[in-house]
Amino acid sequence: MDAEPIISLREVTKVYRQGSVDVHALRGLTMDVEAGEFTAICGPSGSGKTTMLNLIGALDAMTSGSIVLEGRELASLNKKELSELRRDRIGFVFQAYNLMPVLTAYENAEMVLWVQGVDGPSRRERVMGLLEQVGLEGMENRRPSELSGGQQQRVAIARAIASNPAVVLADEPTANVDSETAETLLDLMEELNREQGVTFVFSTHDPQVMERARRVVRLVDGRVASDERR
Amino acid sequence: MKILRMAWRNLWRNGRRTLVTVAAMTLALWSMVLYTSLMEGMLDSMETTLLDVELGEIQVHADGYRERPSIWERIEDPDALLQALDETGLRSTARLLGGALVASGDVSTGALLKGLRPERDALVSEVHQRLDRGEWLDPADPKGVVLGYRLARTLAVEVGNELVALSQATDGSMANDLFRVRGVLQSLSEETDRATVFLLEDEFRNFFALEDGAHRVIVRSSEGQDLAAAAGLVEQAAAASAPGVEVRSWRDLLPGLANIFDSAQAAVQVVAFVVYVVIAILILNAMLTAVFERIREFGVLKAIGVSPRRVLALILVEGALQSALAIGIGLVASLPALWFVTTRGIDVGGLGGTAIMGVAMDQIWTGAVSPLTIAGPVFILLFVAGVAVLFPAIKAARINPIEAIHHQ
Repeated sequence: MDAEPIISLREVTKVYRQGSVDVHALRGLTMDVEAGEFTAICGPSGSGKTTMLNLIGALDAMTSGSIVLEGRELASLNKKELSELRRDRIGFVFQAYNLMPVLTAYENAEMVLWVQGVDGPSRRERVMGLLEQVGLEGMENRRPSELSGGQQQRVAIARAIASNPAVVLADEPTANVDSETAETLLDLMEELNREQGVTFVFSTHDPQVMERARRVVRLVDGRVASDERR
Repeated sequence: MKILRMAWRNLWRNGRRTLVTVAAMTLALWSMVLYTSLMEGMLDSMETTLLDVELGEIQVHADGYRERPSIWERIEDPDALLQALDETGLRSTARLLGGALVASGDVSTGALLKGLRPERDALVSEVHQRLDRGEWLDPADPKGVVLGYRLARTLAVEVGNELVALSQATDGSMANDLFRVRGVLQSLSEETDRATVFLLEDEFRNFFALEDGAHRVIVRSSEGQDLAAAAGLVEQAAAASAPGVEVRSWRDLLPGLANIFDSAQAAVQVVAFVVYVVIAILILNAMLTAVFERIREFGVLKAIGVSPRRVLALILVEGALQSALAIGIGLVASLPALWFVTTRGIDVGGLGGTAIMGVAMDQIWTGAVSPLTIAGPVFILLFVAGVAVLFPAIKAARINPIEAIHHQ
């Protein structure tokens, strides 16, 4: 029997109001994500990739349908519960890294654990291990402005996985780095997926990412056009 | 701890803006501490002049005297009242009051003659210490009188000059005598400056043919003693020793001035508030700009699960840190200024005897320092800064993470 999916979307729609026009970003999207998957969501601009990640990440509310994350229906949670869900069960990696410029690499990676209330020594042990894992040992005291784009994205990945989330949602994670750096980032995420079982869901345009993904879901006009597992 | 660290670092992302904001807050605090000190000093000085020199805390008159002052309306046995007051531990003195025409050379004017016993009066009033020139009354110089400062100017008399006084004595005869100006007072109050002549009690009695009685008994309460309680004691003493008198506190005698003293502190706070509102606009502008510049960061913080409460706290702490800096620098900078105004003061002698509600200010306007001198401006600054920073903080806390992350 198949395991319970950690993410389940059923007939999800999302309609934005843009001026006097309704924009249908998602039109009855249905799909599941199993634990440990390494999934790329691709499709042309406006196909609904980012909207889908925002909805799974509890950053936005769907118009209709159902999204269940680890057995919890997101529509039934209040703002505080959604915030705690994001903190404890979801990791985010953004296209523009979005690190806190006034914090060091260590402090950025530590942020979620601090918000969770993890004690100092445990945070230190976890974060130092993570920075070593993402190849940033010795750079923990550098601020984002002192790191390259690839290094910043590594810090962002360390921040995303620090709390052992159920899923890491990455919105175009390689869009701002060169192909060589993208390759090393993909190596890192693949390694985390393979060795630690971290579930990754990316939105991407990048063929390099799609090539490495073990599942590629193609969206067109807010619907799943194809779903390929390798 | 992390919020504090983040807030501190955030402040120095735009150091110039932070410095300008802190400098404005510092300047406002510094000026308000100084202003409060000078106002407290002025009120202290006015209160001293009013109570220590002029009124005393409590006055006793014969019934009806205050409504219709007359040489005949007097406390029959003031010595019995003074003795009764001595037994309660309250300091007191009796004064005799009578109108007269005083003249020197070709100039004459109406004046109020005040007769007193110097040794007893000195226990109650500091008027003998407020001489501008010459000397205070002395039983060894019975014809020596002391004049208010404007009266001396009106009569064009100086120490050593002669002064003629004319009036009607209580026996119906014409009272007249020749006195010698022994001293001239500093500016004290409208009444004293313009029309008062102090003389010895015995000379007053001789002049007006007044054998007994007194028109006013001035009473001083002890340091820190409740005014109403002291007035109660005086009433008890008067009831037993001098029936037919009325007892009034200085607040009853000068309600307008009492209101000024009561509301002066509030007036200081209102001025401080107005000054700080200007500063609040500056803080609001600086913090709003800081929030708008970091809108994406707040979006990311909220996306990764940082609660709105923590985002709110971050901005509030940034405001608090700026306030703390301003308070620290402002208070240190206030010390030399406070030292100057409390020890040297500002010479306002050039203003020619400035008076408020008829009570003169000292020639040297000195400041005073009390816990409120510091605490008042500091608390108002904290309140105004808190209010100013609250709006940007709430805005940051309520930010929609998606809109914020995609904010350009």
